[in-house]
Amino acid sequence: MSAGTIGPGALLAPWRRTPLATLGLYGHFVRLAFLKFLAYRLRYYTGVVSYTVFVAGHYYLYLALYAGRAAEGLPAQIGGLTVREMVTYVAVSWIGRSLYFNNISRDLARMVTEGEIAMHLIKPFHLQSVMMAEAVGEAGFRLLMFTLPIMVVVAPLFGVGAPVDAAALGWTLVSFTLSLVIYSQLGFLVGCLAFVMKNIQGVLRAQMVGMDFLTGVIVPFTFFPGWFQSVVAWLPFQCIGYVPVMIYLGKRQGADLAQGLLLQVGWALVLGVAARLVWRRATRRLTVQGG
Amino acid sequence: MEPLIRVEGLCKDYRLVDRREGVSGGLKDLVRPRRRLLRAVDDVSFTIEPGEMVGYIGANGAGKSTTIKMLTGILTPSAGTVEVGGLVPWRQRQQYTRHIGVVFGQRTQLWWDLAVVESFRLLKKIYEVDDATYERQMALFDELLETGKLLSQPVRKLSLGQRMRCDLAAALLHRPRVLFLDEPTIGLDVVAKENIRGFLRDIRQRDGVTVILTTHDLGDIEQLCRRVIIIDQGRVHFDGELADLRRRVGQTVSLSVELREPAGSDELAAATGALPVAWEAASGLRHVARFNRAEVRAAEVIRLVVNDRQVQDLHLAEQPIEHVVREIYRQAAAGGGA
Ligand SMILES: Nc1ncnc2c1ncn2[C@@H]1O[C@H](COP(=O)(O)OP(=O)(O)OP(=O)(O)O)[C@@H](O)[C@H]1O
Ligand SMILES: [Mg+2]
Repeated sequence: MSAGTIGPGALLAPWRRTPLATLGLYGHFVRLAFLKFLAYRLRYYTGVVSYTVFVAGHYYLYLALYAGRAAEGLPAQIGGLTVREMVTYVAVSWIGRSLYFNNISRDLARMVTEGEIAMHLIKPFHLQSVMMAEAVGEAGFRLLMFTLPIMVVVAPLFGVGAPVDAAALGWTLVSFTLSLVIYSQLGFLVGCLAFVMKNIQGVLRAQMVGMDFLTGVIVPFTFFPGWFQSVVAWLPFQCIGYVPVMIYLGKRQGADLAQGLLLQVGWALVLGVAARLVWRRATRRLTVQGG
Repeated sequence: MEPLIRVEGLCKDYRLVDRREGVSGGLKDLVRPRRRLLRAVDDVSFTIEPGEMVGYIGANGAGKSTTIKMLTGILTPSAGTVEVGGLVPWRQRQQYTRHIGVVFGQRTQLWWDLAVVESFRLLKKIYEVDDATYERQMALFDELLETGKLLSQPVRKLSLGQRMRCDLAAALLHRPRVLFLDEPTIGLDVVAKENIRGFLRDIRQRDGVTVILTTHDLGDIEQLCRRVIIIDQGRVHFDGELADLRRRVGQTVSLSVELREPAGSDELAAATGALPVAWEAASGLRHVARFNRAEVRAAEVIRLVVNDRQVQDLHLAEQPIEHVVREIYRQAAAGGGA
């Protein structure tokens, strides 16, 4: 170990983390987040119940809706979905949500408004990457301790349809992983609003509700008029919920499937880069509260 | 020696919104907010050489924390430059922060939900500290700060003093070249303060780390720093050695004399004759002489008094640094200043 004396010209030595070390560092954040959520796992048992209740609510609603149509002699499909597909749609989108959901926007907003952000800026890492790593760790925990239990309860209870084939199941998993990335980058961007807004609570609440609506978790887009669907097609939200569920249902196959996944990758990249730019700009003109 | 830290013409403006009163005021605020700039740091310049330990002091709201935030790259200045070891803190943030340690007494940099040791392991990864250095540093922290028995506890269960010790250790784990301390002894009891001061002295001798320290406890400054920078309303009002500061303010020594028989202060003043010494009656047989060490030798005053009077007791004291600094603040407020 060299003594701490300063070299000629009093320069600080150049330093750069190698790619391998970078991977190791952010991997460590993944692990820590996983362990942190594992410590709080009790909270998630009640979550299993509430997700089941959500799905049950939609289940009976759609059963009644389809039964009503049948009584009037209307076709047994709404927006191209049969009642069986509709139930599957609802169940799979909630199961997916249980995986990709996180609170990045709220956490980041809190760090900014309480000035805790300062403690991250004095460390040689990139907060956006740290938060993404933590989101991955959280998702790992959710998958094991939350999503799987929900699946085990919900699938037999409501007779959720199996995927059309093994490939569809695989692509659905890939697609939901991309949902996680898109959801998290979007959350980071929303959290960055705290840099310019004094009171971000309203935005966060709007995000909570609006997100589930715009991702298609609450109502499938096929229910909506054409103009609405074409607007939504231009937004990133459908890539979080609607696209992976449609893959599961086998409504996106071949070129359609590839297009859906590419759209997701595209949005993940665009939002990631946007978040990076916004972050850079925001931290350059930041004022930190307190101290 | 080349300076390690160069600060030139550093300024920081905060944008403030003045709120109007009442409902109509609130509505007006919505439509056309009354904005105002507050210059928290105003044209501050200084250089610091490697290994120096500098006290950065000033009254509440003087701009100390704002300066530290710019030096650590948290805030971007409104004007001026900062260069530390050839790097610009807010521009080369990742590179730069690898070499610095920071403690904000008011907050922790440890991970709130983790056990202390987990935070250290994470820091080890973040700063790429090798195993040998890690072990050595941890042993050192345990020896000097007694952090060993705190390691297994979650941060949120630590007392303020325990947390501060862990925070200091966390800031130094990677053996930074520069250490920024913003009120590292805030809220601590006398013993804890002493421990931290002792630790800082030790670590500085060992690693030659350069330290900038802000504090409201001038004991910290007296025991740790040879050089102080005093700022007031964002401007530098003094930059120099502590001893110079005492000299500048004058009357830095007080000699307390207890006589055997009553006498008036004027009689004592007559005894010290032409010397610039101010006498003042204290209580009973006690009198206090104040004079500037630079102008008058204490031995001379004592000799004259002892020759003239029967003296029971003598006590020579440096004026506490608080008085010296208060005097500087007072001069600054009166528009005197540097
Ligand atoms: N985020 C902020 N927004 C607006 N004004 C601020 C902000 N932070 C500090 N100020 C103002 O800037 C001035 C300097 O504040 P600063 O925190 O640097 O003082 P300080 O010397 O650290 O004081 P203290 O000893 O009380 O910690 C104060 O007038 C303060 O009100
Ligand atoms: Mg302060």
